[in-house]
Amino acid sequence: MPLHFTTAAMSALALLGMGLTGGAAAQTTDAGAPSAQGDVSVTIYNDNLALVQDVRQLNIANGISRIEFPDVSAQIRPETLSFSAPGAAIIEQNFDYDLLSPSKLMEKAVGQVVTIVRTNPATGAETREQAKVLAVNGGVVLQIGSRIEVLRDDGLPVRVIFDKVPANLRARPTLSVRVNSDRAGTRPASIRYLTPGLGWSADYVALFDAGKGTVDVQGWVTLTNDSGTTYSNANTLLVAGSVGQNAQPSYNRRMISPRPAPSRTLVSPGTETSGREQLGDFYLYPLAARTTIASNQTKQVSFLDVQGVPAQAGYEYANGWLASSDEAQSANSVVRFSTSASGGLGDALPAGTIRFYQRDASGSPQFTGENQLDHTPMGSQLSLSTGKAFDVKVQPVVEQRQKLSDTRWRTTMRYELTNARPDAVTIDLVQQGLDFAWADTRVAAESLKSERRNADAVVWHVPVPANGRTTVTATFETRY
Amino acid sequence: MKPRFWLALMALMGATPSMARAQPVVLSEAPLSSSVTVYRDDNRQQGRFNIGWLRGYALISEKRRISLPAGEAVVRFEGVADGMIAVSAVVTGLPGGVEEKNRDARLLSPASLLDGSLGNRVHIRRTDRVTGRTSETDAILRSGPDDGVVLETPDGVEALRCSGLPERLVYDGVPEGLSARPSFSIHTRSPQATEVEVTLTYLATGFDWGASYVATIAEDGRTLDLFAWLTVANGNGNGATFPSAHLLAVAGKPSRTSDFDALVARGSSPMLRLSCWPMGSTSTGGAPPAPPPPPPPAPMAAAAPMELAVTARRMDKAMYDAVAVQEDLGDLKLYRVPVPVDVVPNGQKQVAMIQRENVPFTTFYAGRLEPGDPGDASRPLVRTLRMQNKEQDGLGLPLPSGGLAVMRQRGGDELLLADTAMKDRAIGEKVEIAAGFSDQVRLTQTLLRDGDKEKRYRLVLSNATAGKAAAEIALPRLDGYDLKAMGMKDKDGGKAWLVAVPAHGEARLEIVYRRQ
Repeated sequence: MPLHFTTAAMSALALLGMGLTGGAAAQTTDAGAPSAQGDVSVTIYNDNLALVQDVRQLNIANGISRIEFPDVSAQIRPETLSFSAPGAAIIEQNFDYDLLSPSKLMEKAVGQVVTIVRTNPATGAETREQAKVLAVNGGVVLQIGSRIEVLRDDGLPVRVIFDKVPANLRARPTLSVRVNSDRAGTRPASIRYLTPGLGWSADYVALFDAGKGTVDVQGWVTLTNDSGTTYSNANTLLVAGSVGQNAQPSYNRRMISPRPAPSRTLVSPGTETSGREQLGDFYLYPLAARTTIASNQTKQVSFLDVQGVPAQAGYEYANGWLASSDEAQSANSVVRFSTSASGGLGDALPAGTIRFYQRDASGSPQFTGENQLDHTPMGSQLSLSTGKAFDVKVQPVVEQRQKLSDTRWRTTMRYELTNARPDAVTIDLVQQGLDFAWADTRVAAESLKSERRNADAVVWHVPVPANGRTTVTATFETRY
Repeated sequence: MKPRFWLALMALMGATPSMARAQPVVLSEAPLSSSVTVYRDDNRQQGRFNIGWLRGYALISEKRRISLPAGEAVVRFEGVADGMIAVSAVVTGLPGGVEEKNRDARLLSPASLLDGSLGNRVHIRRTDRVTGRTSETDAILRSGPDDGVVLETPDGVEALRCSGLPERLVYDGVPEGLSARPSFSIHTRSPQATEVEVTLTYLATGFDWGASYVATIAEDGRTLDLFAWLTVANGNGNGATFPSAHLLAVAGKPSRTSDFDALVARGSSPMLRLSCWPMGSTSTGGAPPAPPPPPPPAPMAAAAPMELAVTARRMDKAMYDAVAVQEDLGDLKLYRVPVPVDVVPNGQKQVAMIQRENVPFTTFYAGRLEPGDPGDASRPLVRTLRMQNKEQDGLGLPLPSGGLAVMRQRGGDELLLADTAMKDRAIGEKVEIAAGFSDQVRLTQTLLRDGDKEKRYRLVLSNATAGKAAAEIALPRLDGYDLKAMGMKDKDGGKAWLVAVPAHGEARLEIVYRRQ
C-alpha cells in the first residue's frame, strides 16, 4: 500500500471529483490531517540539536519496496537517519529535494505536449490547442502544429495545462529508504535522526526576600521548536550539557572556543551528585508526561520548586588597573546562595536565565534584574549580580604614580565607598589587573587588610556604615 | 455530493489522535485589573527617550477571573502586550498549578494558509475580464509557497497566476493551529470545576520611562524650584491597553543579560512568492521579466525625535493632585503613581514625581587643563549649577536620571537657559548640572616650556560679565610627573584651581609638571 497518493491516483480522484473515500483522505500528510508519526521520542540537547526516534506501524511489501517518511523534521540532517524494521534489510536511503515549482514543471515538459488555452480578450471565448514545448531558456518556445511561437509573446492570457506532475518532483524534501523484506505485513519500524531547530534552556524565577535572607526558586525548562515540524504526543527527554558540534556544517554556527569559557557566576564548583538520572556526565531531565511540541512553539515545563533557600545580598565593585573616576560609580548588587543539599537548593542546575524578583511595599513581586547561569553542579556557591545599586557607590582614584627606577613604579590608589542606605553594608572591593604582560604587582601598604584572590586581583571586604562613607587606600609596587 | 465529502473529512479529522486528547480550552479575554511597572532602557543616555524607538521594558501583572472545568484544561490568555516575553511569564492562583506553558507563533498569513493547505482541496476562481463572470474549479495544491504554486485541477496540472488571467485561490477553512497573533496558554489540572482569580505576570518590551526635570531659577539667582515629571511611554500596538492600571516605575540599573528582542520574536510570517516559468518574449530579448519583488516590510514609523513639550508654568505655581510616591525596592528605587491610570497603546503619560521649592544652589564655571593641547586659543567654560542632595539643602531624595530643562524667571515670564540631563544621584551626593557653555568666561592655556625636566603651563581666566565669576579648573595628573602650582585644592579625587575671577577682570596661574 503506497504511503502517498501516486500522481495517477491523485489525478484520477481529482477527475472523479467527489469520489474521495475516507481512507484515502486520511493519507494526506499535511496540516489539518493526521500526522504520519508513530510513537515519538525526542531527546533535546542544549545546543540546538535533538535526537528524534519515531516508531511507526508500516505495512511493508514482500521483496523490494520503497518507503517514504513524511512528517519528519523539516530541518532533518538526512545523513543521520537510521531505519530498522524486523525482516527488512536496507538497500539504500535517499533524500530527495527536487521541489515542484512552475518553472521546474515547464523545464521537465521540454519535448512533451501540453494543452494551451487562449482566451479571446474581446469575447472571453476559449480556444484549446496542443503544443509541444521545444525549449525553456529565458522564455518558452512552443511548436503548435507546424508553427513555432513564444508563449505569451503578445502578452494575452494563455493557460498552460500539463498532463501530470513529473516524477521525482515533490512539494517538500522527502526522505525514503529502499528495503528488501522477507515477508509482507504491518510491523513496527523505527527511524532515528538528528535535527537542529530544537533546543532548550532553563528559566528560573527567584523571589528574593532580603529581610528573611531567603530565596524561593522555581525552575522551568524552556523548549523551542523552530524545526518546522510538530512532534505529536512525544516522550521528551532533555539533556543538560553540550555535545560538540564542530563537525556540523552550518551557516550560523557560533564560534566555538577551543576550551569552554570560565564561569563568572560560579564561585566554587560543587562536588555533590544530584539524585537525577545521569548519562555519562550529562544530567537528564525527562518530562513527566508525553507532550506535543508544536511547530514554532516555545514550551515551558516545571522541573524545580524550592522554597526558603538561605541567600544573602551583597555588593561588589571591580576596578580595572589604573582606572580612576571623577564621580562615584554604582557597585553591583549581588545575591549569593548555594546549590548544596544542606543549606541550599539541593539540585544540579541546567544553564539558563535566572530572573530575580523582590516584593515591593504593597507585597507585589517586582523584577529586580536577571543574570545567566552556567550548568552548575550540586553543592556549588553562586554569586549572581542582579544590577547596579542606586545607593551604594565606589569612586576609585589614582592618587599618584611614582617612578622609582626604570623597572619599578609605585601607584597610590584611594577608594571612596559611600552608602546612602539606612543600614550598614559590606562591599567586596576588587582591584584587578595586577598581573598583566610581564609586570608583577604587589601591595606595599594598605589601610585595610586585603585578600589576594589570585595573581591578578586583590579583594577588600569593606564595611560601610549606614548613610556613611569609608575610604580605603592602597599602595602598589610594580616591577617590569 | 460535495457536502458529503466535507462531512466525511470533518468526521475524520475529529477522529485524529491529537483531537481525541484535546482538552477543553478556557479563554481569558481581558484582565480585571492590572499593574504596570516600567523599567528604563539603561543603554540610552540620561536624557529623554525617543517614543518611536522604545527600548525599555515593563513588568505587567494582570488579575484575571477564569472558570475551570474539573480535570485537565488549557487556559489561553488573550489581550496581553505584543511585546510579551513569554518565557518570563508566571501564573499563580491555580488550584492545580501550571503543568506547562506554551507560546504558539504559527501565524495566519497568505503563505501559511497555502502551506497548511498543501495536498488539500482548494478552489480556483477565475474572472472573465469581459463579462465579469466567474468560474470555479476544484484543485489540489501540489506545491508552494516558496517558489510558485502548482495546482492539480480536473483539466490537468497548472501553475497559479502564470496565464495572465485574473485567478485566485479560495480556501474552505483556516488550517488548524494558525492564529492572528502569537498566543500564550497553559495546561492545568483542577480537582473540581471552579471559578478562580489568577495572576499573570510577565515582562514585555516596548516601554520606557524617564524623569523629566524642570529647574526654575528664582529671580534672585540663589535658589531654584526643582520639579520632575514621571514620563512613561507604551509603544506596544494592539493588546497593550491597561485601563485603570497601577502604574509604577523603577529607577536604577537592574541587569539584563538575555536578548529581549529575540525572546519576543513576534512569530515568523514567511513570504508568499508566486514565481512562474521564464516569461521572455521575442520583444524582451529573452530576459524574463522578474516578478515584482514583495514589498519590503513597513519601516518603523519614522523615528522623528519627539520634543518633550515643557509646559511653561505660570507664575502662580501649578498644583499637582497626584505625585508619585517613592519607596526602596532592594537596591533600586520604585515610584508608585498613587491613582489608577489608563495605560494605552502608543501613548505617553506624565505624572508629577518630584517637587522641591527654594533649593539653594551655586553657579560656577568649569574647565580643565588639557596637557596634550599645544594651542593657545581661549575656550569657553561650562556654566555649572551645584546643589547638595541633602535634607538641610532643600533636597535629600533619590534623583533618578532624566532630561532637565533649566528655566530662569524674568519678570512674569520664564526663559529656557539650558537643555541638559540629570544623572542618577543618591542622597548625600552633590549634584552638578552642566548648563551650557559661557562665552563670557573663558580659559586660555599657554604651553610656556616643554622640556625634558618639566612642562610649564600658564592659565588665564577672563571674565566679561558684570559680576564675580567662580571658576573651577581641573588639573589632571600625568604619569611620572609631579604637579606643582600655587593654592591647588582637592576636587573629585583630583587637583583643581578654584578661583573667583573679578568682574571685567582676569585671573592667572602657572602650573609645572616636573618629571620624577
